[in-house]
Amino acid sequence: MPIHSPFDIQARPNRLFAQALSCLLFVLCIGIYVQTSAKRHHENSEDRVVPNAHQLMGGIHTSVLEPAEEDDYLAPDNASKWELFRHSMIWKDTVASGKRFFISLLLLVPAVLLALHIGLFPYFGAGFLRFVLFFDKIVALSLLPILFILFGIDEASKIALIIIGVAPTMILDVTQMVKAVPREQIVKAFTLDANNFDVAYRVVFRQVLPQVINSLRLNLKPMMLFLFAGEMIAASDGLAYRIAIMRRHMGMDVILPYVLWVAFLLYLIDLSLRVLNRRMHPWFQS
Amino acid sequence: MVSVLNNPRETLNNAHKGQQSTAIRIAGVSVSYPVGKKHRKTILEDLNLEIEEGEFVVLLGETGCGKSTLLRMILGQEHPTSGTISVAGSAVERVDARSGYVPQKYSLFPDRTVLDNLTMGPETSRYHILGRLKPGFRAFRRQVREEGLKQLQHMGMQASDGDKYPHQLSGGMQQRVAIAQALMMKSRVLLMDEAFSALDPGTRGSLQRLLRSVWSELKPTVVFVTHNTAEALFLGTADRPGPYKPQQRMWITCRTGYETSRIWNES
Repeated sequence: MPIHSPFDIQARPNRLFAQALSCLLFVLCIGIYVQTSAKRHHENSEDRVVPNAHQLMGGIHTSVLEPAEEDDYLAPDNASKWELFRHSMIWKDTVASGKRFFISLLLLVPAVLLALHIGLFPYFGAGFLRFVLFFDKIVALSLLPILFILFGIDEASKIALIIIGVAPTMILDVTQMVKAVPREQIVKAFTLDANNFDVAYRVVFRQVLPQVINSLRLNLKPMMLFLFAGEMIAASDGLAYRIAIMRRHMGMDVILPYVLWVAFLLYLIDLSLRVLNRRMHPWFQS
Repeated sequence: MVSVLNNPRETLNNAHKGQQSTAIRIAGVSVSYPVGKKHRKTILEDLNLEIEEGEFVVLLGETGCGKSTLLRMILGQEHPTSGTISVAGSAVERVDARSGYVPQKYSLFPDRTVLDNLTMGPETSRYHILGRLKPGFRAFRRQVREEGLKQLQHMGMQASDGDKYPHQLSGGMQQRVAIAQALMMKSRVLLMDEAFSALDPGTRGSLQRLLRSVWSELKPTVVFVTHNTAEALFLGTADRPGPYKPQQRMWITCRTGYETSRIWNES
């Protein structure tokens, strides 16, 4: 086996080479994009499908520093960049989507607490577990029309979609974590004169919390997915709404920055949860 | 030197009956569970046992002979199929603070530092989950922490170990803390389930000596489950010469006639 074979499990690539290799696909993708864009612009200088750097900069400028179309705001001449940004469409969309996202995140807290009770208290388990198992199998998106009928097409239906989509999975996941806490720990806590709620919240919940946060990190994408589904079908603002309407006039110059912006936001939330988890639970070993 | 129950049916005769109070009373306890549709497997049958206050009892036997089951029933984690078990005068219905517990694994709360593990018992028993908001809590907590530090040093550990998390300690250290944690509650009964079985021989020896000194100092009632004959012999036989006092220690070997006779010979 040669030393630098890619199929050698025991290979030890040097650090610099490994770093370079990890950048390779990024460079390749950007290269192909630039190449395609240049070629298409050579044929048609007005091409909107694969915008070039200049068009992309224009798109970013439109979304970040110009007031949104539906906004009646007229910027004064000496308006600062910050003020322009506050009325831009990307700000408005991010705030609108973020609000929905964080409200649903907040609504997941009672779901996690319910899961704690299901996993720990036999009567809760008997009462809820089977129902949640059933509910988990319902495809959340198939409920979307029902939600629109029930809640109308405003905020409530979108938040309900996220909760219905993510909460059952989350509850089942957390229930498993709670059940995986060694019995010895619970027995020990009772011999230390803990009452039921001490055991639930000060022994078991504290122990599973880092795992719950990790589970939440995995569920960020499904949450975003349901949010986008709701926004694309019926909304008057939000990140997905903008992407959906930009499709109508082939606004790739705005769509692409938006897609990357959403990815970046999601990465940021995930990173902050990860850092928070590490700071809060130095004892936790995954 | 040691009295042996060849048969669980046999009741131990106490020479000093009536003089000391009974800490644990096991009366007519049977445990069986169904195997298949028709058969039941019997683990323990009509076991009668009285353990007096301050006794050190070692339960020795092969894996699966029911010694851990018996311990868990004294603890309240499991219930006998028939018969009753009472600790400190009242029947055991559920796990509570009457007995301290040191299991083989998972004996410490991984999310708390050593000192927090030690103080958890007294804190929760006095201030439950919302009681921690009461004004007296902080002063009480300070006091308990001091007590915990003292207990820690008493167990042969350093005060600086108090800020470590359990995963930073060796297995032997963890069990030291676990014993200290149980002692902080000052319960009169200490139940230990294979507590030293996962440790290497050297550490095991030092912990056995520690346990013996703790016992001779505080005289709690100890029920110690092990499958290791040497350990049982060491813990169960007196370290001081003199006549055997029946209220001190005893053995139960379950079912294994061979092992029973061997213990007789060695001691």
